[in-house]
Amino acid sequence: MTVTLDRRGLLGAGVAGAASVGLSGVAGAKPVLAKGMRKADFKGAIAAMRAVVGPEWVFADEDAVRPWRKTYVPDPSGRHAPVGAVCPGTVEEVQALVKIANQFRQPLWPVSTGKNMGYGMTSTAAPGQVVLDLKRMNRIISVDPELCTALVEPGVTYRQLKDYLVEHNLPLWIDVPTVGPVASPVGNTLDRGVGYTPYGEHFMVQCGMEVVLPNGEILRTGMGSTRNPSAWQAFKWGYGPYLDGLFTQSNFGVVTKMGMWLMPAPPVYKPFVVRHKRVEDVAKIVEAMRPLRISNIIPNVVLMMSAGYQLAMFQRRGEIWDHPEPVTDEALMAAGAKVGLGYWNTYFALYGTPEMIAANEAIVRAAFAAIDGEVLTEAEMQGNPYFHHHATLMQGGLSLEEVGIVRWKGAGGGLAWFAPVAPAKGNETTGQIALAKQILGRHGFDYTSAFAIGSRELHHIIALLYDKSDPEEEKRADACYRELVAGFGERGWASYRTGVHAMDLVAQQYGAVNRAFNATLKHAIDPNHILAPGKSGIA
Amino acid sequence: MRGPLFLAPLALVAGGTALATAPIAQKLGEPLPPRTPEQVYSSTCAYCHGANVGPVIRGRALPAAMVEMTVRQGRNAMPAFRPSEISPAELHGLAQWIEAGPADLKEKGQ
Ligand SMILES: Cc1cc2nc3c(=O)[nH]c(=O)nc-3n(C[C@H](O)[C@H](O)[C@H](O)COP(=O)(O)OP(=O)(O)OC[C@H]3O[C@@H](n4cnc5c(N)ncnc54)[C@H](O)[C@@H]3O)c2cc1C
Ligand code: HEC
Repeated sequence: MTVTLDRRGLLGAGVAGAASVGLSGVAGAKPVLAKGMRKADFKGAIAAMRAVVGPEWVFADEDAVRPWRKTYVPDPSGRHAPVGAVCPGTVEEVQALVKIANQFRQPLWPVSTGKNMGYGMTSTAAPGQVVLDLKRMNRIISVDPELCTALVEPGVTYRQLKDYLVEHNLPLWIDVPTVGPVASPVGNTLDRGVGYTPYGEHFMVQCGMEVVLPNGEILRTGMGSTRNPSAWQAFKWGYGPYLDGLFTQSNFGVVTKMGMWLMPAPPVYKPFVVRHKRVEDVAKIVEAMRPLRISNIIPNVVLMMSAGYQLAMFQRRGEIWDHPEPVTDEALMAAGAKVGLGYWNTYFALYGTPEMIAANEAIVRAAFAAIDGEVLTEAEMQGNPYFHHHATLMQGGLSLEEVGIVRWKGAGGGLAWFAPVAPAKGNETTGQIALAKQILGRHGFDYTSAFAIGSRELHHIIALLYDKSDPEEEKRADACYRELVAGFGERGWASYRTGVHAMDLVAQQYGAVNRAFNATLKHAIDPNHILAPGKSGIA
Repeated sequence: MRGPLFLAPLALVAGGTALATAPIAQKLGEPLPPRTPEQVYSSTCAYCHGANVGPVIRGRALPAAMVEMTVRQGRNAMPAFRPSEISPAELHGLAQWIEAGPADLKEKGQ
C-alpha cells in the first residue's frame, strides 16, 4: 500500500529521522535519577508500584515513558523529562503509591489530565521524578442540579463533564480554559487557570477537596470531614485556617477529588467584540473596562487579543512576514484588517434576561463609543472565525482551535507562556508592551499576546512561540524566557504561573521570606520531599 | 426564581455550544466506559484534525501502526496521548478505523 504524507507530515518525520516519528518535542538527553537515589532504589520502587496498580499501568523504560516526555516548553538539556509513570485507578492505590515513594525516596509528580500545554504538560520541574498520572481516575462523583455543583475526580475532562450535563439535560454550564476537550477542572484549577464565562476564575468557584497527604493520610477540606458532609460543595471555608489554597500551585498533597460550582445556563447569552486599530489603544481599553468589570456590568473574564495572537491561530508566519526580524505592528495591522481584526480585539459577553442585557448593553456601548471602539456583535461578525471562537469560549464551549498558534514559527511545535500580572490600570500596559517587545526582539521572537482582566488585575499573556525542532532556536527561547522573567521582575511585574522550565526563577521574584515560609511548610508536610520537588520553586 | 434560570439559553451564536458529536454516556461514580473509535475520534482528534490545526487524517489509508505511534509520541504541535487517556485497546481500534475508513468531506484541510 502506498502512503501519501503531506508536506507538513514529511517535515515532522524528517526532524526525527525515519525510524522514530516525531521525536521533536521530546527531551533528547537520557534522564537521570533523583538526587541521592541509586538504581536499585528506582528498581525497587517500580517493582512495588507494579504490585499495587498492575504491571500494565507502570512505565519505566525509555520507550514506554515517551508519551509523558512530550512537551512544548524549552528544555535544551532534557532535565525536565520524567523517568517513569504510574497510573492508579483509585484513591487507595494513590495512598499505597505515596507510601512506596516514601520508602524508596522516589519523587512523584502528580498530574490530572496532564495537558498543561505551554507550561510543561507531564514533564517535571526537577529531574528523576515518576509521573503520578491520575487520568484513569475519571469518575464524576456527583452533580447537584439544585445547588449547581459537581464533585469530580482528577481525570475527568471538561468534555466528560459537559457530556454528562448534555446527556442528562441539565441546564448548567461549564467554564473552560481555551483547550477544554482534553484538559480538566481539577488540573486547571490546581494550577489556578482561567476561563471566559462569569465563572472564569476557577479557584474562586472551587469548593471542597479530598487530598492524599505525603504520609498517605486522607484530608478533606472545608465541610468534607464533618459527620454529615452534605454542605461540602456548598460552603468553601469550613472552620479554622482555609486549607484549599495550600494545594494549588504547590507540592503539599495529591488532590483526589474536587468540588466546583457550575453556572446556571442564562436565558440569554450575547457575545461582543470591540475593535481598536492602534497598539497604544490598549491603555484606554483597560481604563474603560475596569469599572465595568468591578461593578460586574460585564460579568465574564475579558480578553483583549492582539492581532498577532489572533492571526497565529489560523495562519502561518510566512504568510504574513518573511523576514527573520520580529514581525512589525504595521504588518500585523494590515494582515488583520483583511480578516476583520483590529490590533486589539476585546471580547466580552452579557448574560441574563433580555431586559438585563438591553440595559447593560446601552451602558457598555456608551463606554466604548467614548474611546472610539467599534462595538460589534453576531449581527456584524457572522462567519468571522475569530468571533466564533471567542463566542464559543465565553459560553464554556469546547475547542482546540487555538492550538494552531503552536505552528506559527514553524512545524516544530514550541510554546512557553509568560504571564506577568499588574493592576488593571491603563498606564501599566504601555511599559509592559515596550519591555516585552524589546526582550523578545533581541532574541528574534514576535510579540504575540493578549491581556485578560479577571476583575481588578491585568494578566499580560505572552505566547513565546518558537520552532522546537531547531535546537539553536530552542536554546534561544529558553534564554529569552529567562530574560523576560528577570526583566519584568525588576519592574515589579511577576508571573501568576509558569512552566516547569522556570519555576525556581519565578519563585525568586516573590522574595526570600515567601520562599522560606513555603520551604518550612514543605518540610513539615513532606519531610522526605517525595511530592513534586521543584513545583513553584518549592524544593 | 428557579423558572427563568432553567430556560435553555437563546442561541445567539449558531453552533457555539454544539458538541462535535453526541455525548458519551457515563454513569455517576463510575469510570468512563471503553469508547468506540468514532467516540475517541470525535472527543479528541476531531477538535484538531479537519478543524484547521492538524492535517486531515481520515480517508488517506494511513497505516494503523503509524497512527498509533503518532498518538503515543505526539508530533511537533500535536501533543502525545498517554495510555491513561486513550487505552491500548481504544487506540488499536481507532488506528484500524482511521486506516480503513473513508474521508469525512465536512473536514477542512490545513
Ligand atoms: C493554545 C492554548 C491555550 C490555552 N489557554 C488556556 C486558558 O485559557 N486558561 C488556562 O488556564 N490555561 C490555558 N492553557 C494552558 C493549559 O493547557 C491549561 O491550563 C490546562 O487546563 C492545564 O492542563 P490540565 O488541565 O490537563 O492540568 P494538569 O496538567 O493535569 O495539571 C497542571 C498541574 O497542576 C498540578 N496538579 C494537577 N493535578 C494535580 C493533583 N491531582 N494533585 C496535585 N497537583 C496536581 C501539577 O503540578 C500539574 O503539572 C492553554 C494552552 C494552550 C496550548
Ligand atoms: C491539539 C491538536 C491535535 C489533536 C487533539 C490531535 N492531533 Fe494529530 N496532529 C496534530 C498536528 C498539528 C499534526 C501535524 C504534526 C506535524 O507537524 O507533523 C498532527 C499529525 C497527526 C498525524 C500525522 C498525519 C500525517 O499527515 O502524517 C496523525 C496520524 C495524527 N495526527 C493522528 C491523531 C489522532 C489519531 C488523534 C486523536 C487520538 C490526534 N491526532 C489528535 C494535532 C492534533
